[in-house]
Amino acid sequence: MGFPREADDHAEKLRWRGVPGVGDGSKDVSNDQQPNRNSGAEVSISLPSITGKILAKVIEYCEKHVFDFKQGGPGEDWDREFVNVDQAIIFDLIRAADYLAIQGLLDLTCKKVAAQMANKSLEEIRKLFNIENDYTPEEEAAVRQEHPWAFFD
Amino acid sequence: MADGADLFLSLPDDGLALIAAHLGHPRHLLSLSLSSRRLYHPLLSSPSTWLSLTSSNPGSISPSQLHSWHSLSSLSYPSLCRFVFTASRLLSLWAHQNPELGNLVFPIWGFVSLVFVRIIPQEVSKNLAFSPVMEIHCDGDGAPSLFFLHGEAGLIHAGSAFSVIPSDPTVLLLEADFSPNSSLKSSLFGKLAFGDRRRLLDFLSSKSAMKLPSDLESAPVFPRSHDDFNILSRRREALISMHKAIRGGMIDCTIVESSPCSSSLSRNRSFDGDGKKKTISSYVKDGIKQLIGRSIPSKSNTNGENKHLPLNEFLKMGSGDSIGLSLRAIHTRVTSYRSWPNMHENRFALYKLPLNGPESGKEFSGLWGGSFGWPPALLGQEKPGKALFLLLLSYEETDMGLVLVGTKVLEGTHYVLHPNGSSMFIAKMEEPSTDTFPWEMEMRVSCSFSGEGISSGYGFRYPGSKPGSLFSLCNGLLAFVWRESKAVLALERINLSEMVTQGEQVPALPAVSNFTYLTKSYSNVFTGFQSNLCDTSTPR
Repeated sequence: MGFPREADDHAEKLRWRGVPGVGDGSKDVSNDQQPNRNSGAEVSISLPSITGKILAKVIEYCEKHVFDFKQGGPGEDWDREFVNVDQAIIFDLIRAADYLAIQGLLDLTCKKVAAQMANKSLEEIRKLFNIENDYTPEEEAAVRQEHPWAFFD
Repeated sequence: MADGADLFLSLPDDGLALIAAHLGHPRHLLSLSLSSRRLYHPLLSSPSTWLSLTSSNPGSISPSQLHSWHSLSSLSYPSLCRFVFTASRLLSLWAHQNPELGNLVFPIWGFVSLVFVRIIPQEVSKNLAFSPVMEIHCDGDGAPSLFFLHGEAGLIHAGSAFSVIPSDPTVLLLEADFSPNSSLKSSLFGKLAFGDRRRLLDFLSSKSAMKLPSDLESAPVFPRSHDDFNILSRRREALISMHKAIRGGMIDCTIVESSPCSSSLSRNRSFDGDGKKKTISSYVKDGIKQLIGRSIPSKSNTNGENKHLPLNEFLKMGSGDSIGLSLRAIHTRVTSYRSWPNMHENRFALYKLPLNGPESGKEFSGLWGGSFGWPPALLGQEKPGKALFLLLLSYEETDMGLVLVGTKVLEGTHYVLHPNGSSMFIAKMEEPSTDTFPWEMEMRVSCSFSGEGISSGYGFRYPGSKPGSLFSLCNGLLAFVWRESKAVLALERINLSEMVTQGEQVPALPAVSNFTYLTKSYSNVFTGFQSNLCDTSTPR
């Protein structure tokens, strides 16, 4: 079973053939467009906010997990390597997985972000995600005083 | 490179909530929230994110309870989550060896608090009887630092809880500790002689006693339903305000030094056997050694040398400071035998009991309750005269293969037959039984195991055993039958949280005894107030 698609960078229409075990279809798809897994009918789904590059990654994830389904999935090593990508791509994948309701991919990507934050101080989190410190020194001092326990080592 | 704040702000609620659910501690989410002004309000005021964080924590409060806590208290979600995460490390069963009938202590979430109640020895009845032991409340920063010890006649005693709780605490200690900014890093309370510890704790509890206003005295200590949250919110405000007014129960050391409790000092106790003056570090080392769980007799040595720290020296160590009741959770190595910890008999301490839920291959793990006799007296029924037994079932690999051990943690008879923590039975999981269930019944036996049940042995401390079988019945009951006497102990799985919520609160003992009753006792010391105890002793 394949994923025939028209390659279009920003507004992909995907002919989606129902694939067991992978998502329930896009949240915004109306009922009469829901993929019917039994009939194998092709359905068009509009994906306005997902780029071709991210969609390709999503499809890569889905294909791997579907084809390796009978062996219990591709395994942790493959999953770990799959999310070993730039921050921006991880967050794009989270949005895509949420939009397409692909729970496995959503879990994997969110766990990755959480794992990166674990045991990091506030400064380290800023550096890791390139978060700009837009407080004035006085504001920062006030925030530190109000929430001292965030700053324990 | 774009501002990372945009990455988080562009996430859907589900995504952010799921990231929060996978974080190990609310501190990380708080750090993220505080990292930039743009993230501050969106993250701090997103209930779903914080609710998702607590709901991922096993044993945690429900999102609706957290929401009620937030709306009725002045505390932020980050502070509440910090409290829940830290205090939830204490969610377990706790007990002391004495009284031997059982003194099981069980924590249950209150209102922005964790409340410890004691299941007292009792008979099978409609409502489980419990008495309040202590409460740990959240302070303004989300730390579990406000300690309240329940005493007799509705008195509540103020103290402090050491808010750094290890991830796997094994012992809860009631101590006297100096004010938090004291220069002393570790507690030397354990080095005092038993009598001094007792007198000091009694003195401090007498000075820290408070009473709730009459309209709140009969308020529940934890919510039995959503309707209780309003009164619990008022009760908490009253407790915190009284705690502040009494300075958290802290008493100036000079007052303690001149009090009757420090008058009976032994002289010259500060020298060790070699005649050298003991140093603080040697007291600390000895103290830590004594805390490691062994059943150690109350006299620490037999040749007359006394290694205890004199009370007046202990008080001088916090010179200029004040001292008050304190609760401390520590992780220390505790040895155990068949799921029952080896306990130091004269420490004001509660020891953690291993409570595991059922899992694959260990389906019977957990807390069970029941009574002797057939047909079984099930919990929730009125069965006058049937002693309630609570057993902790756990598995052990032995030379007989995998065995199921039924450890007694509560016995509702009038006078105890076997020590607290005895194995009422063991059942060999790899040896089916050939015995038939001796009583007529409608339900089928699903499987049965050969085993041994407790019997009289060489005196109280050393029970024996006799052959028997464990039957697992199709309706979920377990029944252990002693082969010779045909005595039956019938058990059903217990949800203690549910039973306590629907249970009946009875009065507490005086403060220090209410924490641990260290006077050796074989009868029910908790029921000066009710007489619904039976004295059935089943011959086995």
